[in-house]
Amino acid sequence: MITKLGFIGLGAMGGPMAENLLNRGYNLYIYGRRKEALMPLTARGAVACDSPAAMAAKIQVIFTMVTADQDVEKVILGREGVIEGARPGSIVVDMSTISPSTTRRIADSLADFGIEMLDAPVSGGPMGAKDASLSIMVGGKEETFRQILPVFSCLGKKIVHIGPNGAGQVAKACNQTLLLITLQALAEAFTFSRKNQVPLERVYQALAGGSAHSRILEVMGQRMIDRDYSPGVEARLHYKDLGIIMEEAHNLGLMLPGLALVSQLFNALIGRGGGKEDSSQVIEVIEAMMTGRG
Amino acid sequence: MKIGFIGLGIMGRPMALNLIRGGYPLAVYARRKESMATLIEAGAATFNSPAELAQATDVIFTILSDTPDVEEVIFGFRGIVEGAKAGSIVVDMSTISPAGAIEMAGRLRKQGLEMIDAPVSGGEIGAINATLSFMAGGKPEIFNLVKPLLECMGKNIVLIGPHGAGQIAKACNQIVTSMTIAAVAEAFTLARKNGVDPARVREALLGGFAYSKILEVHGQRMLERNFQPGFKVQLFQKDINIVLKQAHDMGIALPGAALISQYFNALMGSGDGQLDSAALLLLLERINGMGENEGK
Repeated sequence: MITKLGFIGLGAMGGPMAENLLNRGYNLYIYGRRKEALMPLTARGAVACDSPAAMAAKIQVIFTMVTADQDVEKVILGREGVIEGARPGSIVVDMSTISPSTTRRIADSLADFGIEMLDAPVSGGPMGAKDASLSIMVGGKEETFRQILPVFSCLGKKIVHIGPNGAGQVAKACNQTLLLITLQALAEAFTFSRKNQVPLERVYQALAGGSAHSRILEVMGQRMIDRDYSPGVEARLHYKDLGIIMEEAHNLGLMLPGLALVSQLFNALIGRGGGKEDSSQVIEVIEAMMTGRG
Repeated sequence: MKIGFIGLGIMGRPMALNLIRGGYPLAVYARRKESMATLIEAGAATFNSPAELAQATDVIFTILSDTPDVEEVIFGFRGIVEGAKAGSIVVDMSTISPAGAIEMAGRLRKQGLEMIDAPVSGGEIGAINATLSFMAGGKPEIFNLVKPLLECMGKNIVLIGPHGAGQIAKACNQIVTSMTIAAVAEAFTLARKNGVDPARVREALLGGFAYSKILEVHGQRMLERNFQPGFKVQLFQKDINIVLKQAHDMGIALPGAALISQYFNALMGSGDGQLDSAALLLLLERINGMGENEGK
């Protein structure tokens, strides 16, 4: 049975996830670039490591939760990365959202050293991380998945083994496609309502009870009504995910016209300086297109 | 002034020949030896690596497929910087990312070398007839030095601004041309679905406000259902991807270009990457469930 875990990346998602693992009695070894992020966890008994390599020399199962493709590559395959310390039989579980092709490449490099990998991106945001109610979409070998499943159960509720390495990231890309196009649909519907001077709150109430109901409507709809764009999920993170998916579509020869449009609205939103605010502000970009001069 | 030329593909070969016709002895290099044959016949000297070519020349032209190819030829193993003399000028005529062009110019500057980004528009026909448009970025005094050389290969030669500005202009060119091709394809689809002859529509439109070179050239190709390249879907997909990467990095919304990029993705995915970009018509017909002869 696994009792010791390594955890790399203690940001808005990784921090509360690591805490949940501590709560469930795991001996936790941690690494993060910002030392202040480590303190609340070391205060509760987690052991700070000097590098991913040093951690991997001690611990066989290592979780990573960082931002972008190059961050994952760096902590796993880079200088003083996991690969420099890990032994055959070790398992790397990457919970970051990155591209399926990068994931497969990293998994192949690790396999050369007899190290297993799971890609296990999550959905549910910082709230889900805190409540241990995340959805976890897993790619990798079935037996490796079974070994790690008890740990996943401490972090989330809906845990699905999707397929081989990269399949978890593909599922996450599907998740983001659906979520972000729905977000745009919502922004358009609300703009339609506002232009007709119909009270948004009532439209929201009516829609929430019908076949247009969705989690996005529920959460983002309220933020749009209140024009309260404190995150939530910072738009720059969705913007990053959009970049991953559109690049993958390009490489596959795959047409995603809806998502392509959404990604342009997010470009505008980033260019306007809204990267650190909630993605529900996409309604402001749509409204801005209809705002006259002055 | 001794001239080198690297990259002898569909565009590069006729351009290099035009430099020789302009009276410049030429040193050439290409990865595939067989693509140098025509140039050897025309009197060009050949070299085994970009470094050796750079050692023997003062101005080095490059025209390659993508940003990594240009980086490789300039900075890679036996690349230009390993042989180039101080003060030499690299003129890159490839279509690559503006950010890549700026970065490479900076790295060359540190080694005492000059760079001009000078992507072209006009396709294979323009390359053969020496009627290309050049959009250049770099220092004016360096541009003026190489301008007579560019005049052997093209007609409309404009210094747009500093390093990278040529690539930005090319990006603008690709936005306008790709969206116009799609617009022509949509117009022809509308005509055919209504039982109206697109050939007559084209004729009428050519005389009015919708006139464009694209309507003239690509419109004709669509009418003839001649999808021989021309400029391949695959290359257009690459160019628009450069545009969208720049838009993403800068936080600029380009919704039209984004939609076109998806069309190109679809054509690539259905195995039509080697067709001329007029094949956007095929995509419109597929979306609308149209056979080749419907409405004729």
